[in-house]
Amino acid sequence: MMSRVEAKKPSSCESEPLTSERVRVTLSVLKGVVTSCYGPAGRLKQLHNGRGGSVRTTSQSAALLAGLPVSHPVLKMLAASVQNHVSCFSDCGLFTTILCCNLVENVQRIGLPPTTVIKLNKHLLSLCTSYLTSEACGCRIPVDFSCTQILLCLVRSILTSKPACMLTRKEIDHVSTLILRVFLLTIPENTKDRIILGKSVIIPLKGQRVTDSTVLPGILIEIPEVQLMKILPIKKSDSFKVALFCASLSGDLSDTGEGTLVVSYGVSLENAVLDQLLNLGRQLVSDHVDLVMCQKVIHPSLKQFLRTHGVTAIDRVGVALMEPLSKATGTQPIGSLASISPSSYGSVKDLGTAKFGSKHFFHLIPNEATVCSLLLCSRNDTAWDELKLTSQTALHALQLTIREPCVLLGGGCTETHLAAYIRHKTRSEPESILQDSSCTQTELQLITEAFCGALESVAGSLEHDGGEMLTDGTYGHFWSAQADSSSVVNWPDLLSRCGCGLHSCRGELGLSFLRSPRPPFSPLTCLPPQEAAGAANNLTLDCFTAKLSGLQVAVETANLILDLSYVIEDKN
Amino acid sequence: MVMACRVISKRRHVGLQQLSSFAETGRTFLGPVKSSKFVIDEECHESVLISSTVRLLENLDLTSAVGQLLNEAVQAQNNTYRTGTSTLLCLVGAWSSAAEECLHLGVPISLIVSVMSEGLNSCIEEIVSLQVPIQNVFDCIDSTKTFSGLETLNVSLYPFLQIPSDTGLMQKKHDLKDVASQSLAIYSLPGRPVKSPKLFGPQAKVEADKNTSQTPQTLGNSLPADTRCRRSVLTHSRHFSRTDNNQRISKPDGFLEQHSAATLKTYRCNDLLELEVGLSHGDHSSMKLVDEAVRLQYQNAGVQQGGRTVPFLFDISGIFTCCLPGLPETLSCVCPGYVTVVSISRTALIEELQKQPIRVVLVEGDLTENYRHLGFNKPANIKTVSESMKVEPDSSEELWTNHVLQVLIKFSVNLVLSQGNVSERLIDKCTHSKRLVVGSVNGSVMQAFAEASGAVQVAYITQVNENCVGSGVCVTFWRSIPFDAVDQTSRVAILLKTEGMNLVTVVLTSPVAAQMQTKEDRFWACAYRLHHALKEQKVLRGGGAVELLCLSHLQILAEQSLNKGNQDSSGWFHNTSSWLASSLALYRPTVLKCLADGWHRYLSTLLCNTASYSSEFEANTFIQHHLQNAADSGSPSSYILNEYSKLKSGIFNSGISNKLEQIPSVYDIVTPKIEAWRRALDLVLLVLQTDSEIITGLGRTQIKSQDSEDFLFL
Repeated sequence: MMSRVEAKKPSSCESEPLTSERVRVTLSVLKGVVTSCYGPAGRLKQLHNGRGGSVRTTSQSAALLAGLPVSHPVLKMLAASVQNHVSCFSDCGLFTTILCCNLVENVQRIGLPPTTVIKLNKHLLSLCTSYLTSEACGCRIPVDFSCTQILLCLVRSILTSKPACMLTRKEIDHVSTLILRVFLLTIPENTKDRIILGKSVIIPLKGQRVTDSTVLPGILIEIPEVQLMKILPIKKSDSFKVALFCASLSGDLSDTGEGTLVVSYGVSLENAVLDQLLNLGRQLVSDHVDLVMCQKVIHPSLKQFLRTHGVTAIDRVGVALMEPLSKATGTQPIGSLASISPSSYGSVKDLGTAKFGSKHFFHLIPNEATVCSLLLCSRNDTAWDELKLTSQTALHALQLTIREPCVLLGGGCTETHLAAYIRHKTRSEPESILQDSSCTQTELQLITEAFCGALESVAGSLEHDGGEMLTDGTYGHFWSAQADSSSVVNWPDLLSRCGCGLHSCRGELGLSFLRSPRPPFSPLTCLPPQEAAGAANNLTLDCFTAKLSGLQVAVETANLILDLSYVIEDKN
Repeated sequence: MVMACRVISKRRHVGLQQLSSFAETGRTFLGPVKSSKFVIDEECHESVLISSTVRLLENLDLTSAVGQLLNEAVQAQNNTYRTGTSTLLCLVGAWSSAAEECLHLGVPISLIVSVMSEGLNSCIEEIVSLQVPIQNVFDCIDSTKTFSGLETLNVSLYPFLQIPSDTGLMQKKHDLKDVASQSLAIYSLPGRPVKSPKLFGPQAKVEADKNTSQTPQTLGNSLPADTRCRRSVLTHSRHFSRTDNNQRISKPDGFLEQHSAATLKTYRCNDLLELEVGLSHGDHSSMKLVDEAVRLQYQNAGVQQGGRTVPFLFDISGIFTCCLPGLPETLSCVCPGYVTVVSISRTALIEELQKQPIRVVLVEGDLTENYRHLGFNKPANIKTVSESMKVEPDSSEELWTNHVLQVLIKFSVNLVLSQGNVSERLIDKCTHSKRLVVGSVNGSVMQAFAEASGAVQVAYITQVNENCVGSGVCVTFWRSIPFDAVDQTSRVAILLKTEGMNLVTVVLTSPVAAQMQTKEDRFWACAYRLHHALKEQKVLRGGGAVELLCLSHLQILAEQSLNKGNQDSSGWFHNTSSWLASSLALYRPTVLKCLADGWHRYLSTLLCNTASYSSEFEANTFIQHHLQNAADSGSPSSYILNEYSKLKSGIFNSGISNKLEQIPSVYDIVTPKIEAWRRALDLVLLVLQTDSEIITGLGRTQIKSQDSEDFLFL
């Protein structure tokens, strides 16, 4: 046979990639896609492979970016850094992407040398972070864990921002309460110096009503009805000894390797393995194990053996449940069929069964109840997928809030407030930056405008129906109004509340259009206490940690993209 | 890899248009008169006869994203409730047009979404007044009063039961001979009855009376002698006031909260037969079988418990269908136990086994030598070598078969039921040693046998021990003359049963094999309707009554919000800080109006399908007439309730005899119906909010060949 040798293709080298038309167009397409997804009124995208694969309707960055096989290295870089952010913080992926695209676009328009831009961007970023983390920050609300209001608002804001979950107001309230309950159940009761959060498992129950969703302490394992009949009745006891296997107990021959295994007639390898399994069964019985669980399959004969000796056997638990199970029962997953060390066993407090919808579940109630199951229902598959991801995001946001007990104002207010602060800061005290970065006052003003414009643009991306976007000259919050009302002078008649819901429109706020130039001002940072209390029921909030990281990732990624001068691609 | 991104809505919303056109294909399945369709594959010239939404979507090529979402929604509804899919499909069509209309009128998408979904919520709250509680239907169940008795009546009065008896519609009575011939023709001719029943409004009542009085003898003859004690369909609550007080307190979900005049009357359904007829939606032959199955279960439960202290529950998982194509229609029946078919060559074996109860083994998987349980990976690289030359190549299966037989002999087992395939060689061997092996047995049947005979299901025959073997199973032929029941593929039907087994087989027969699937589907549709009704202990007034109330309610709501303005709309939009919340009042009447138009479209489809109206215009006039009346009456729900009862009183006064009180109410199930509405609206709103399709994994070249100008690339 002849082997065919092909000459290697030369690598391609593209200089100044950002100046190319193709990059510009694809970046703006990407920006268009993510911007149109942003916020509670965002538009949805149908992701599918065009060949009859499943259809995912979504407006979440995690799902979008995972499904976007982008072609250009610049986009790949952007997608990768956002995905990395999302994998760590779950929330604010769209915010990060939009901000990064905005920054690149705005800065390119100015045409300053990249080094100056990058340096100044870094300065502005550090101004933002130090403001956001300082006590004086005016767009930050401390979280009091003894009161659920703020936490509920945070969860509700996250659920509301994903319309593809298809939740009504009632359903949003129901699911928000459940998520908060899950979060509270995973906090251990007795903590010393550090908290180790428990685990929660989301169990799908598709086809049911969202309001049928519920939270149960412990772990639910779905099992077929036939199997349930076999394990019933479960004996009563104070404590059940548990063994958890991650190795398959199906009676497979362990990896026979390459080549052919020659066995003489009359020898049955299968029987030999089965004997080994039954020996294992005998050990389990003599160790007084009450419950055997296996990630994979248990051989029917072994199951039968265990059953006749009063041991409950549950197989095909699945890899997703292994960690929570191990945590809930205190077992070490057993990976071999050889003898088992007694330290691998764990225990549970109680066992039971449950039925939800048409599904049957085996219910494990652990001794220490920091593990719980969230049964999540949704009418259809595509909405369920979105609801699951959103619930996970909300749960993660709550967990991040323990670490940093505060939340940021949502609904675009943090962005406009921050922009107002930066504008004011660079205007009033530019010296430190100018000294440090050796640039002119004009350059600083240009970059500040680009930076703040990018931030405000993110807030503006919340509007999808042609409404007018405004910001006030007092708090620097974000407001929206009906578009053709520009002739109306009296704004208070038209506006109800600002984006985050904290301020209502009364008195002289000094409203102006978001995209129009306005004099810099120092935004008021103090929140009127009675107002904060009154509006606290219906605030739109963002996760502090996630948003701060999103801001940093966006600016740094934009800097990285701006810094690119060559793209060298191996075309082979 | 290239990502393509297609913008869906530029000027017209393509997704919504696709939805309406998909929904259009299924509009004839709505209502009791369903026209069948042939789906023809142009490539291989195969065709399927279908008459339900689920089967339609199964057979259509829905590769577009919207089509798939539609299919997904219909499947989800079907898997959860087994009913309501035609309602879903029709409403998807009606509401996608409604949403598109809103777009044309310039309503922001988010507002369409929130007003429509809150509007539907409001409808769902409103229709509580049309709920009918079901009480103790099994209290007065007695063997003398069966569906088959009523059936003679129903068959001859077939067109009556087509009445969408929402608003006091009266039924024009055809010549009864004509009717009888129609009902005979119903199953042999797919599609509409030759002569469709005619409906018209109350204004034509006189004519109806005239028609019926022309044929009084015929009608009288066709009725069975009414010796049965039937309770009145309508019950005045004050007659029950003593017993009902507790009920009112314990059921706070508002059955009794009816307005004005209606508060005097509380409707209850406490007769199983009435409930079944009401839920049959015109399909009496199927409902008759369901009725028989329920009665059998009821008897079984009574036998098992001795006394009847435990309330009886209809257990749908204990019902199994066995289809025998090629047998005459009249052989359809319900049997206690499990009916299945075996090869005709085993007639002798069955005759042998009939004599005494036998012992049974239940095998979960295949019964073949090579079968291994799920999750077992057989390594491919093992070679067995033999030292002597005596062993024949096929000996391993022979050995295995002998081994199985030995086990069966050891435990004196004469019957093996397997969920999977069974080795032919084993079947032959077993037949020789007077043992019956049946393969492809349904899982719930296995379960029923396990419970009743004491057998434990095993994966391998080697697992069998004394504890796994069940006993006391009787084998007989399904029909006393076995060759009566030989189907097209020369298999003979047999019946297996055990004392106390909670399994009822419904044998469905049809001379036309193509109709088998339809028959089975229709049976299950009836069975699930009854199942849900009994489970929920309540039903809705059917035949369009609830939809008419929704329509009327929305129109009133739209009018109110037009007059009141911003007052009560505050709760309708979740994001109160957006300008959309403040401009809600401006758009709310428009959106509610469009949503109501959707109901209107649904009702007129329903009316046109029942062939009561030759044109959509007529149907619309009719709906409009009642809407106006309902609105004028001040309380639409009591108006509709009144019209509903007028249907009966109209018949009462028709001067024939009060025997016609059997003209049944039409009922609908509650949760599955409401869920179908929600699902339909969810799907429409999901598609409405979608602005682009992202196609992954397609090369730029592949898309270029299609309509490339619509695509953007990344």
